[in-house]
Amino acid sequence: MIRIEHLKKVYQNATPLKDVTVDINDGDVIAVIGPSGTGKSTLLRCINMLEKPTEGHIWIDGTEVTDPACDLDKVRQKMGMVFQSFNLFSHLSVIENIMLAPVDLLGKSRQEAYDEGMRLLQMVGLADKELNYPDELSGGQKQRIAIARTLAMDPGVILFDEPTSALDPTMVGEVQAVIRELAKTGKTLIIVTHEMRFARDISNRVFFMDEGGICEDGSPEQIFDNPQNEKTRRFIHRLKVLELSIGNKKYDFPGATGEIDRYCSKNHIPWKTASRIHLAFEELVHIQLIRVLKDPQIHTVIEFSEADMEAVMTVSYNGPQFDITAKGEVLSMRVLKSIESNMAYTWNKDAEYPNQVQIHIREE
Amino acid sequence: MNHKRILSLLLCFFLLCAGAAFAESETATESAPPAESASPAGSASPAGGITSIDELAGGTVGVQTGMICDTLTQQRVPNVKINYYNSQTDALIALQNGKVDGWCCDEPVARYMTLSHSDLVILDEKMADSELAAVFPKTDEGQKLRDQYSAFVDELWKDGTMKEIDALWFSTDEDKRTVFDYTALPDTNGTLQMAVDSTIPPFAFIKDGRVVGYDVDIAARFCQANGYRLEITQMTFDSVLAAVQTGKADFADSCITITDERKESMLFSSANYHGGIVMAVMKTRGGTAAVQEDTSFLGSIAASFEKTFIREDRWKLFTDGLLTTLLITVLSILCGTVLGFLVFMLCRNGNVIANAITRFCMWLVQGMPMVVLLMVLYYIVFGSVSISGIAVAVIGFTLTFGSSVFSLLRMGVGTIDQGQYEASYALGYSNRRTFFRIILPQAIPHILPAYKSEIVSLIKATAIVGYIAVQDLTKMGDIVRSRTYEAFFPLIAITVIYFLLEGLLILLINRILIRTNPRRRKKKSLLKGVNRHDPD
Repeated sequence: MIRIEHLKKVYQNATPLKDVTVDINDGDVIAVIGPSGTGKSTLLRCINMLEKPTEGHIWIDGTEVTDPACDLDKVRQKMGMVFQSFNLFSHLSVIENIMLAPVDLLGKSRQEAYDEGMRLLQMVGLADKELNYPDELSGGQKQRIAIARTLAMDPGVILFDEPTSALDPTMVGEVQAVIRELAKTGKTLIIVTHEMRFARDISNRVFFMDEGGICEDGSPEQIFDNPQNEKTRRFIHRLKVLELSIGNKKYDFPGATGEIDRYCSKNHIPWKTASRIHLAFEELVHIQLIRVLKDPQIHTVIEFSEADMEAVMTVSYNGPQFDITAKGEVLSMRVLKSIESNMAYTWNKDAEYPNQVQIHIREE
Repeated sequence: MNHKRILSLLLCFFLLCAGAAFAESETATESAPPAESASPAGSASPAGGITSIDELAGGTVGVQTGMICDTLTQQRVPNVKINYYNSQTDALIALQNGKVDGWCCDEPVARYMTLSHSDLVILDEKMADSELAAVFPKTDEGQKLRDQYSAFVDELWKDGTMKEIDALWFSTDEDKRTVFDYTALPDTNGTLQMAVDSTIPPFAFIKDGRVVGYDVDIAARFCQANGYRLEITQMTFDSVLAAVQTGKADFADSCITITDERKESMLFSSANYHGGIVMAVMKTRGGTAAVQEDTSFLGSIAASFEKTFIREDRWKLFTDGLLTTLLITVLSILCGTVLGFLVFMLCRNGNVIANAITRFCMWLVQGMPMVVLLMVLYYIVFGSVSISGIAVAVIGFTLTFGSSVFSLLRMGVGTIDQGQYEASYALGYSNRRTFFRIILPQAIPHILPAYKSEIVSLIKATAIVGYIAVQDLTKMGDIVRSRTYEAFFPLIAITVIYFLLEGLLILLINRILIRTNPRRRKKKSLLKGVNRHDPD
């Protein structure tokens, strides 16, 4: 069991971890997801003290590893780590890479270590490579050897730091297959990954990390199907978001159009979808709401999901209840009808902008 | 097309010239001065040669470093250019080759050289009168010994023995020119350390592997009469004076002229030779060579070989020198490697104090010319300690080689990826074991090629230990040259030996290179002692 309390890591010009408090139970298989640069790897490296935390405490099976008097070498022998860049010992053959630590650190005989090493090589499917050197192997093979090397120490916990990120897409599968097998053995696994499908399939618990903390901690079903946190939702659906606020009748329309343009080209939104977003904004906001509302306060959110290539525009505005889908100007509404796949109006009188209309832009 | 034709014509012309020059140099190997055009002075004097000092105006004069001849020449000869040589032999060879027009040296040296070089002339006008004497350190013991020595020398003058000694050493009869075996003297009143430059015949030179000569003869007689054992240390002339000043030697004598400047820093005995400074020139310039026994190319080579190696068992000098060079090199490599490694281990984890000290020492050692470092160690750091030159040389070269090894290690270990450390730590290796098990084995193959070239430079660098009285290979070559008056053969011999030595050490390192490179191990040996459960 791993307990992390108020963990903080500060570098000279960045703070990857602000405040992390979490408990990890034995046998948990945890996928850590989140945008780049949000402290996922740092969290992992703090757990086995490759990075020294600035503040906070970490206990591993009751031993406080953040205590300067702690015998880190002993703790690390029980906690394996698999790196993004494999880090196999290039001067040793495959079998020696696996045998080295058990012989040196656990006092196993060479024969014992060899037998165990061959069993592990069999498991990762590379028994015929025992006498090869690391640079004779492909990336996927190297990573499988690295996993076997870690397993040779029979650790209770294994940390995976983006194990497939450095791999050719064709080799991702073979490494994931090995990790999938491992997940069934009851070892505690903590996996930092960008492969969402893999994360979902393998884990029983997911950490979504953003801005130096764990934003959401839940089951894979919760995180992927029903995220509670807006940031999680945007990340899961790989949403690209543009927000526009209009505060008076004399707002800068060409300026707003330019902003939408930049947003579309930056996120590689297909040309057709982009022009429909333009059209929707013009017909809904510029032609109708600005004219109808006495003192317009309009908030527009455009979301584009890279995952399902779908764009959604949500427009909220002030004033008395005004269902634009029913009472809107006929010509404009006809145009909107032609580009939407779903359009809905909601009224919530307590919100800042009580009126809200949401348009799903049609793809074809 | 035209250009090409001109070019090829020019090329042919150069080849012909080169051929002619080579043919000429063949006949010149013994001692013939080359053609007039080779003279740097370009003096207008005809083939008749120089007959007075005034004719040397605007010319070039060769002198030995550390003597007073350069000052005298500059005072006497207008617009003269001085060429400095490490030994009188080199200066004489330069004169013979026409590199210099005159050779300014002590009268006895020139006088001695005329015995064997019939084409050498001493100009009548003396540049200066001078007296030669033994020198002693300016200490109480030095004073006492000096007084004793002076009394002995005065006695030799009085009873006419000095005349006999003079006649003996300036004769052409080789057999007579010898000193009794002074190494066997009893040390009734102790042992005296005498420093000599053994390249100045007839005052001090090597014959049959022993240092002999006019000055050595007197010193030996003195020791015999006063119950001292005599130990002679050979060094270059400037080191001789330094050795007396720092007390490394009890006294020194090898053609040392009495000057006021020298009197300030050491004590002189009564003069044991009344000489002077003279100018020697060649009888003819571009004229006929001296009489030769065998003028054919092969014949002269054979004669040179005989002179350089066979006569007086001179090959023993070369083997002695080789052993000394080898000893210094091997010890320095071993100690330097250990030193560099230990210092690296201290500095490896970024210890601020260790790094600061190391940086300072490396700055000091690497910034100093090797010769200066050795002399500082020998005359200043260990000035008052009785320590052999070889030990000082080993210490000096250990320091420089150690700093090279340190830099190599830092460079080699620096090439190892940070990920290798992390993987090792993550497995549970301690910092120290990570270094020895994971990092060092990967760094060594990176380091060894550069290490190899460091060793070659070390071997070559040891050639300067002659400055601190060590008789290494190069110094032995100098000694042989001072006896044979030949530049070619001893130098070639030394060069060949150095190449062999370097080749041998490189061969050895290559063996280690193959052994330490983990990637070159045989596949079968990887899993020694493990039953692989299959028949192959």
